[in-house]
Amino acid sequence: MSGRDIVLQVAQVLAVLLLAPLIQGIILQFEERVQRAQGPGIFQPYRDLWKLFHKQLVVPETASWLYWTAPVVAFTAMLTVPILIPVLTNYPLPLSDMGDILGGGLILTLGSFMITLAGLDTASAYGGIGSSRAVMVAILAEPTLILVFVGITLLAKAMLPFVVNHLLVAQPAVYWSPAHLFLVAAFFVLLLVETDRLPIHSPTHIEVYMIDEGRILEYSGPLLALLRWASTMKQFILYTIFCNVLLLPWGLSYLGTALGVTGSTLALLGKFVLVACAVVFVDTAQSRLRFYRYQEPLAASFLLAVLSIISTQLA
Amino acid sequence: MLTAHLNPLAASLFSLIAIASLLLAFVMLGSRWLRHYLYAFAAESWLIGILSAAVGFYGNYPELYLIAILTVVFRGGLLPYLIFRIIRRLHVSREVHEILQPSSGLVIGALAVIFALGVSSRIGAELGMSGTVVVLALTVMLSMKLLGFLMLAARHEALSHILGLLVLENGIFLGAQILVPGMPLLIEIVILFDLLIVVACFGLLVQYLMTHVGTTSSLELRRLVG
Repeated sequence: MSGRDIVLQVAQVLAVLLLAPLIQGIILQFEERVQRAQGPGIFQPYRDLWKLFHKQLVVPETASWLYWTAPVVAFTAMLTVPILIPVLTNYPLPLSDMGDILGGGLILTLGSFMITLAGLDTASAYGGIGSSRAVMVAILAEPTLILVFVGITLLAKAMLPFVVNHLLVAQPAVYWSPAHLFLVAAFFVLLLVETDRLPIHSPTHIEVYMIDEGRILEYSGPLLALLRWASTMKQFILYTIFCNVLLLPWGLSYLGTALGVTGSTLALLGKFVLVACAVVFVDTAQSRLRFYRYQEPLAASFLLAVLSIISTQLA
Repeated sequence: MLTAHLNPLAASLFSLIAIASLLLAFVMLGSRWLRHYLYAFAAESWLIGILSAAVGFYGNYPELYLIAILTVVFRGGLLPYLIFRIIRRLHVSREVHEILQPSSGLVIGALAVIFALGVSSRIGAELGMSGTVVVLALTVMLSMKLLGFLMLAARHEALSHILGLLVLENGIFLGAQILVPGMPLLIEIVILFDLLIVVACFGLLVQYLMTHVGTTSSLELRRLVG
């Protein structure tokens, strides 16, 4: 373990921390532009966070200790996951052997679980609705996520994201095999689910159909800023896994030099813009569905994961 | 047997086409509009036509090119056109009373595919060719048959029934193309005309149902009449 590797590991976490609001801003700006509006600019999430951190904190009388812990736990969980995955370099850095893909998924879900509890904690009607809806979606999303992980494991014979990345770069035949392509499609649906961009999610947030926004409706000021930041970081992490492990495994730093890391950061932003275009296309082209059709995309994703597992059995 | 010694590129091409047609069968199972069933069926038939041509190319069966052209023209063009005319005449654009939700249908279909994989890997192991494209072709064939049966059982519009029957038939045809590519040309042509007659008879049946019963949904047909 050299000093440079430790610096790189810190840089991975910092990259996720600092660039996550930018990705959110780019997606929102793209959406506004596609709908022929001006848009607030790609740096708006940073301005929002700055504003929220300088606001007063109002705490409901019904809130318990959970209300205070949830944002901190969610934020910490999102700071932990980047250690485990290839954000900038394509080789494992110190402490990245703490957990495999399943461990990363567990930590991501822990943050979401704490926010669900916090939504129920203040006993407000909207928090309860938000938590119950989020859990209903998660009940169907989690088995599919596990199936995707099983598919990845069968494909690469390992559960470490670095191994999958190396395999896909080294063998184009595996990259273009139906097993891998179906996994990409299944994970794309999960990506839309986890970043609240399914057709059942609404584009404007504060209204009766809200799902994730309902859980954090009671928060204000710096705690709300922490939660917003954590959710943009979750989006960044999921995009990183999607791009660097599954879809576009190229363009990572091989040696860990300063130039390579700068290049891989720029490449990461480029990949994210591509994925963001696809996400914005789905979001704009697909009309809104009522909430109780939420099973359909998830069933399709489940099916794609099953087909992928079947094709790994035959390859 | 052709499939015992294929080069890897051909094997991966066959498996890609087979899996893509299985996916289109799932599109038929998961969509709500009759018109989408029809588009998916037409696309599936085109894929099977391409598969026939590919088998003909890699296995040196020149008569398969003719079968590919016939498949594309009949299954991918004429049959969908005839069914499309019936849909337009009937003013039925979707299943109104769903027996099975599309999402539950997809999950049951996925379980059917797992069952088909289990059966065909057993058969493949018996034949001593496990892990080859033979097992994949058997899996796709069996699961498309099961999906066709599922469509026949869980839908009640007469149009969905005929499409379920056609999917079932497509599955058998796809499996046959990969497993026994040297089928006599005459049999293939007979099967194609058979399907044409099925669809023509079905048009008459729909006409009869509309004038005498007033609906084409099998939910209304509960009473035996002589």
